[in-house]
Amino acid sequence: MSWLIWRLHRTQLYIAAALLAALTVLLLVTGLQMASQYHSALAACGASHSCGTLGSTLFLGSHAVGFLVIMTLGVPAVLGLFWGAPLVAAELETGTGQFAWMQSVTRKRWLAVTAGWMLLAAAAWGGAVSALVTWWSGPDNALQLDQFKPGRFDIMGIVPVGYALFAMALGLCAGALLRRTLPAMAVTLAGFIAVRAVVTLWLRPHYMSAITVTYKLLSPFSPTGSYWQFGQGVRNPAGQLIPAPNGAAIDGVPLGFLPASCATTVGRVLRPPASCRQVLAGFHGFITYQPASRYWAFQGIEFGIFAALAALLIGVTAVVLLRRDV
Amino acid sequence: MIAVQAVPEVATAIRTSGLSKRYRRVYALSDCTITVPEGRISALIGPNGAGKTTLLRLLAGLTQPTTGEMTVNGGIPRQDPAFLASIGFLAQEIPLYRRLSAEDHIRAGAHLNPCWDGESVRERLTTLTIPLDRAVGTLSGGQRSQVALALTLAKRPRLLLLDEPVAALDPLARRNFLAILADAVAAGGLTVVLSSHLVADLERVCDHIIMLAASRVQLCGDIDTVLAEHQILVGRRKDTSAIERDHRVVQITRTPRQVTMLVRLNGPVIDPAFQTSDVGLEELVLAYMGQDAPSALAQLTSIGDDQ
Repeated sequence: MSWLIWRLHRTQLYIAAALLAALTVLLLVTGLQMASQYHSALAACGASHSCGTLGSTLFLGSHAVGFLVIMTLGVPAVLGLFWGAPLVAAELETGTGQFAWMQSVTRKRWLAVTAGWMLLAAAAWGGAVSALVTWWSGPDNALQLDQFKPGRFDIMGIVPVGYALFAMALGLCAGALLRRTLPAMAVTLAGFIAVRAVVTLWLRPHYMSAITVTYKLLSPFSPTGSYWQFGQGVRNPAGQLIPAPNGAAIDGVPLGFLPASCATTVGRVLRPPASCRQVLAGFHGFITYQPASRYWAFQGIEFGIFAALAALLIGVTAVVLLRRDV
Repeated sequence: MIAVQAVPEVATAIRTSGLSKRYRRVYALSDCTITVPEGRISALIGPNGAGKTTLLRLLAGLTQPTTGEMTVNGGIPRQDPAFLASIGFLAQEIPLYRRLSAEDHIRAGAHLNPCWDGESVRERLTTLTIPLDRAVGTLSGGQRSQVALALTLAKRPRLLLLDEPVAALDPLARRNFLAILADAVAAGGLTVVLSSHLVADLERVCDHIIMLAASRVQLCGDIDTVLAEHQILVGRRKDTSAIERDHRVVQITRTPRQVTMLVRLNGPVIDPAFQTSDVGLEELVLAYMGQDAPSALAQLTSIGDDQ
């Protein structure tokens, strides 16, 4: 059984291996460059005590490679589309399934072995690409602290493995249900994008309830590490939300919400008197976010969701293939 | 003491009872009850759309029946390695992986079957000068058929179900293939059900017939028995009601001078007004197929009446 699967899919396997090798070389070379660029910048700013602004002044690597790395978002979809969808669909569409299924191997075993290898391949490729991207993004993430943000979260850690398993299972299931390759590919792509969007936009923020920290405006607070921020703002002493400043402001509070004395300027620079500071002390800032410490918990939950969906889809495929006429 | 010797029962390869298959609202096969004894080569004959492929797919376990029961090789068609190993099925569309070579298929078969005679496939294809190492998609239709047939035989099944296997073969290849089939059956342990439109070919090797028309079984039995049950009656008399009462008239053709009937006998014909003669297989098959097209028959009949 495994021999036939190897023989049927080895060309795709070679192509996928070649693409992965090319990506590995590219990311290894640029990744090492970025790491040394980061470390020398760190040494330089350490000498001049200006490391605080490094995140906004230093750009690592090139835009082209950075774009390519973001494009790895599509790797699971490609696996499901070109590997998963045609697998069962082509057997049914061209009738070759009647060769495979009339040998002395039950369809159950055929599906178990086929789906097993395909899911393994999907996990391997998804995991390899994710591992490369995670390593490559190390210095950049230390600089930008953005690994928890949507778009970055999705290409690092273990979630890409979950997406790859899901996309592959979706492809297999769509193929078994639709029995034709092109429609199965279309449904796989649409289904993958839809589920990913729903989970990212509506489910992921609620895996754990977000933390809201309220702080005095005069002693500002900022969460540490790569946190995921949902909202931030300022309330006046009456508890009303102050709109974001659109012009002159002190500590994020527009002048219009402060006593006129605050607008005192010396030369062209605002120099609010002490009375103004007292008023400001009544203002509170707040920030709503998921702390950086939850990163791996979120990765685990999201991986679990997609792995469970993949298992469900494989179950549906089995029922369709074993119960219905083939 | 009298030793009671059990009468050796002729084993049946296929036995179905009331087998039906409905696709949405159309019955592809209704109330199909047939028996095929072991060791026969059975011709599955019928017009296009009569349900031949559906019957073969049901027997192979690729399709689930809507109603009815069947026993194939002593068991119910099911997803079980032992059952699958006992069945060889070759679909009409010659299911082979187009990018794989014949050799790849032979090796796949070796991995997928408990008893596999890959060497016989290599020998046969070499004899037929069919390349083993070229992708089967690049072979001609006839060569592909030969590859698929050889692969189906290599599985050494007890029951071989072939859906129009010789359609793509030239007359010589057809004759060779049927000879191989006859040899394999003669060697024992093999039953074949073979669908085809080429009655002359079937007549040469088959000793059993299953005739389907309009999704129903018209005939099922040994060809000799079936032929003996039918007769052609030719007479001058226009009144055929007595015959129609006693026997089943399959086909009737009237001309101003005479009436020709193909009847399924219910006992001997003792009407001196009619001359009887034996019927050939092709004639019989055409008569039963003609039933399927009553409008054409009615037209013929009315032309006869007018004159």
